[in-house]
Amino acid sequence: MNNVIEAHGLSKRYGRTVAVDNIDLQISAGKIVGLIGPNGAGKTTALKAILGLATYDGDLSVLGKSPARDRATLMEDVCFIADVAVLPRWIRVWQLLELTEKIHPKFSREKCLKYLSTTKVTLEHRVKQLSKGMVTQLHLAIVMAIDVKLLVLDEPTLGLDILYRKQFYTNLLNDYFDEQRTIVITTHQVEEVEHILSDLIFIKEGRIALDCTMDDVQEQYTELMVAPDKAATARELKPLYERVLFGRHIFLFKNANREQLKELGELHTPSVADLFVATMNGGES
Amino acid sequence: MNRLLALVKREFWENKGAFRTTPLVIGGIHLAAMLMFIITFSHFDNEFQSLKELIRFIAQQDTELRSQILYAANLESSVIFSMVLAFVVFFYLLGSLYDDRKDRSILFWKSLPASDTLTITSKLFAAMVVAPLIFWIIYVITHIVIMLLFSVVVLSLGENPWTLFLSLGNPFEAWGLVLTSYFTQSIWALPLYGWLMLVSAFAPRIPLLFAVLPPVILGVLELWIDFLKTFTLSDNLFGLFGRWFANSPLIMSGDMHENDGFGAALGIPITHEFDHHVTVANMFDRLFSTDMLISLAITAVFLGATLWLRRRATES
Repeated sequence: MNNVIEAHGLSKRYGRTVAVDNIDLQISAGKIVGLIGPNGAGKTTALKAILGLATYDGDLSVLGKSPARDRATLMEDVCFIADVAVLPRWIRVWQLLELTEKIHPKFSREKCLKYLSTTKVTLEHRVKQLSKGMVTQLHLAIVMAIDVKLLVLDEPTLGLDILYRKQFYTNLLNDYFDEQRTIVITTHQVEEVEHILSDLIFIKEGRIALDCTMDDVQEQYTELMVAPDKAATARELKPLYERVLFGRHIFLFKNANREQLKELGELHTPSVADLFVATMNGGES
Repeated sequence: MNRLLALVKREFWENKGAFRTTPLVIGGIHLAAMLMFIITFSHFDNEFQSLKELIRFIAQQDTELRSQILYAANLESSVIFSMVLAFVVFFYLLGSLYDDRKDRSILFWKSLPASDTLTITSKLFAAMVVAPLIFWIIYVITHIVIMLLFSVVVLSLGENPWTLFLSLGNPFEAWGLVLTSYFTQSIWALPLYGWLMLVSAFAPRIPLLFAVLPPVILGVLELWIDFLKTFTLSDNLFGLFGRWFANSPLIMSGDMHENDGFGAALGIPITHEFDHHVTVANMFDRLFSTDMLISLAITAVFLGATLWLRRRATES
């Protein structure tokens, strides 16, 4: 099994609503995948299925195991922070570390303490005494100290200040990530993860709207900025999406002839955020 | 095994107040009452005359009667501990699979490689073994401290505590019986424990309501239907529950025995299926009964449903 996550026809319904609609997905080792979609698109539902937290229809295998059946053993090689996850409020930090150490064979106390030393969290603190940001720091420190093959982060940096967010992603990339590991991140702060992602998956209304590598994005997508008088010409070239900024028209093209576009105006590589907006508002990409 | 121990430790840490502070407070109340008793005597007459007379009066009584009273007292002094323990375990189990769903820390626990079966096992183990053991230890310590205190008082009043009461009863026997009754009660109470865990895993809110209301409604309906059919109030869920309670192997009341005077009793001596004398054999009788077999079957169903629900607790 080369793929860390492999899904065929993955679906999940809650009563009449279809949260995840027949998704096919392959994620291989050594990737950092951004899973991006608007609220209610089915990101969290898909992740829950992958983590064995919810039942599902279709075939799904994570590290060669069935998450629905083998959650406990799967969790030896998978770690996650759920978007609404909270640490138990009654627990003291040292108790939390001791429990994690005893239950998780791949947890390193030293690493965790090293990450914690950059925060204001002490071992004697109770979780309920910590601020929201500190709890997140604690949770991230624990997760980064666990040596797993797949790390799933659902909105991991909610409530953290920008300094710590930057530091976290730097740590994630420098200390944590390597060829054997896979990281799946969902976040609304796309700009912050953009530069560390290797792959991009957009989810829209329970379906995958885009699944490509970041290199593909650079190769295939072009943003063209033109003055209003050239807008009509640009529009004829069938852009995916058009928006207006400070009186200039910005078009997003896929697999366009760059030479041809260059004559009309300035070319850029679109940011993930722009691509996201275009994909969500436009049609098929 | 290590994981199970770690999970049991977590239960202890989370419930320190209920499991450890509560019995300590009960022990403290016992000691405070004892001290108040002594102070009261010293307050009304400085020379402890009345207390002295009381002790002399006791010393003059028949040895057989004294040892009987002592034996009963040794056992009965566990009753408050036992009753509070029952409450503690009841509410512990009721919250055991509910609290982490409510505060969503379940998502953290589920991110650790511990199966739901192991989690449920650890909680049941905490209820059946950890809580009773801690209560028992503190009961024994309280008992020892009170005996020491009383011996000192008796000694200081010029009487011999050994002949007065220490030599008349073997406290180890009482402690052993109480511990055995705690563990047999843990097994006897399994259907209740299973039910409480099931409710705890199921209740969307206010588990207490979900635990109590269904059996009460069912019981009342049964009563009513029985009444309509036969104009009698015969066997029904309430009766069943009452019998279960009265047949408990826990030392919780006293009884007059025909041949050997009075003593403590297992459960409440109003039923006749089991002998209510406080003996290990009588406790085990309850465990090796058809009633218990049916109870275990019911427990298995409850716990199976609990596991099923726990697996799906993060569904939405």
